[in-house]
Amino acid sequence: MPDIPDSDTFLASDAFAADLLRGHTDTIVLAVLSQGESYGFEIFKTIRDATGGAYEIKEATLYASYRRLLKDGLVEAYWGDETQGGRRKYYRITDAGRAVYHDNVNAWEITRGLIDTLLELGKPARTGIPRPGRRP
Amino acid sequence: MTDDSLAIHRLLDEAYAGIEMTPEARDLKEEMRANLVARMAELGGSGVSGAESARRAMAELGDIRAIVTETAATSTAAPWLDQRVRPRPAYVIRTLLLSLPAAAALAVLVWSVLDTAVHGWQPLAAAVLALTGGVIVADALRQETTSSYPLPTTRALGYGAAATLGLAGAGCVAAARPEWPVGLLVAAGVLLVASAVAFTYLGVTQTNRHKPWMVRLQREHQEMADVFAGDPAAAARFGIYTAAIWLAALAGFAVLTFTVGWAWSWLALLGGLLAMLVIMARTMFRPRGSEPHRAA
Repeated sequence: MPDIPDSDTFLASDAFAADLLRGHTDTIVLAVLSQGESYGFEIFKTIRDATGGAYEIKEATLYASYRRLLKDGLVEAYWGDETQGGRRKYYRITDAGRAVYHDNVNAWEITRGLIDTLLELGKPARTGIPRPGRRP
Repeated sequence: MTDDSLAIHRLLDEAYAGIEMTPEARDLKEEMRANLVARMAELGGSGVSGAESARRAMAELGDIRAIVTETAATSTAAPWLDQRVRPRPAYVIRTLLLSLPAAAALAVLVWSVLDTAVHGWQPLAAAVLALTGGVIVADALRQETTSSYPLPTTRALGYGAAATLGLAGAGCVAAARPEWPVGLLVAAGVLLVASAVAFTYLGVTQTNRHKPWMVRLQREHQEMADVFAGDPAAAARFGIYTAAIWLAALAGFAVLTFTVGWAWSWLALLGGLLAMLVIMARTMFRPRGSEPHRAA
């Protein structure tokens, strides 16, 4: 696992992986929220800690994701009752959100299988498994 | 609040300087504030100094303006959706459980008025109804809602007590039927007057409980209703239009009655009413930003 020089770095600056991950931000947030309600920093921390710090979604991306999910009715938001240091905005997954999450997970599993199969075409009879190249 | 925790609020204010404070931007700012405080606490836990942790937390956030622009593009429409507070299942269950004895007591009380057989249960039913009613009122007022702040405990208890007095008074009136003994009637009167006095006192000393966005909505509503007060020209115009419409409608009604007959002449009046409603809607709900004194 590479060291992380700063928070903007994902997976050793691998733009390919970062792009792939960014496309699934909403589903990742839904995955975190399906474990229970949470607020912005906690969601950010859960994602960071789950990957052992290897992957951080930028907070700006998360703020946009929350609003998208709210607009689509996949999560609902409410203000907590903290009195110190500002109120936290909590997000909770809705039933619609859960359904979309499961659909997305299924779709991802099918896609992953397909991509694995297709990318295998480019590496005849090699046993070592390097990371998928940019030009398969 | 320490100087260190103040630093993050100052940095946040600086970052938001020059950004137009739309409801969405304000909402985002408050959300960011709590997240920054949480991130600062985490950094502080790992040994970073207060001022440094504030600076780092802010720097990690990146360009605030870009975030505001990006989130504004996907903002939720309804203002109250952004203001929701945490649902409290315990409160709902509590109220439901309390309302069961209250409903039972009310049923017994009504039954005892209709049928003297259950007269003996009246005091108990009245007491249960009054107490549960008071507790439900006080408990409800202690809750924060999307549009209102929770009442302070003492004031909520005050409202609860006033409700209890009122319900007890009503119970006494029910119990006094059908003989109307003086003692019970006096007790009922005293209780009801005390309740009214308590409600009045609490009402007139009540300060604003609504949240800022709710107050803004109410003000906007009021402005809409007050369009005639704020724009006498619109009121005069509307008056002249109305007179003209009804003159035409009445003339049409008279002419149609004499020519076509009663069966169809009422349509003239209906037409007049419709025209007046359309004019009224157009005058009162003028599109925002249009000039009040537009030359006709």
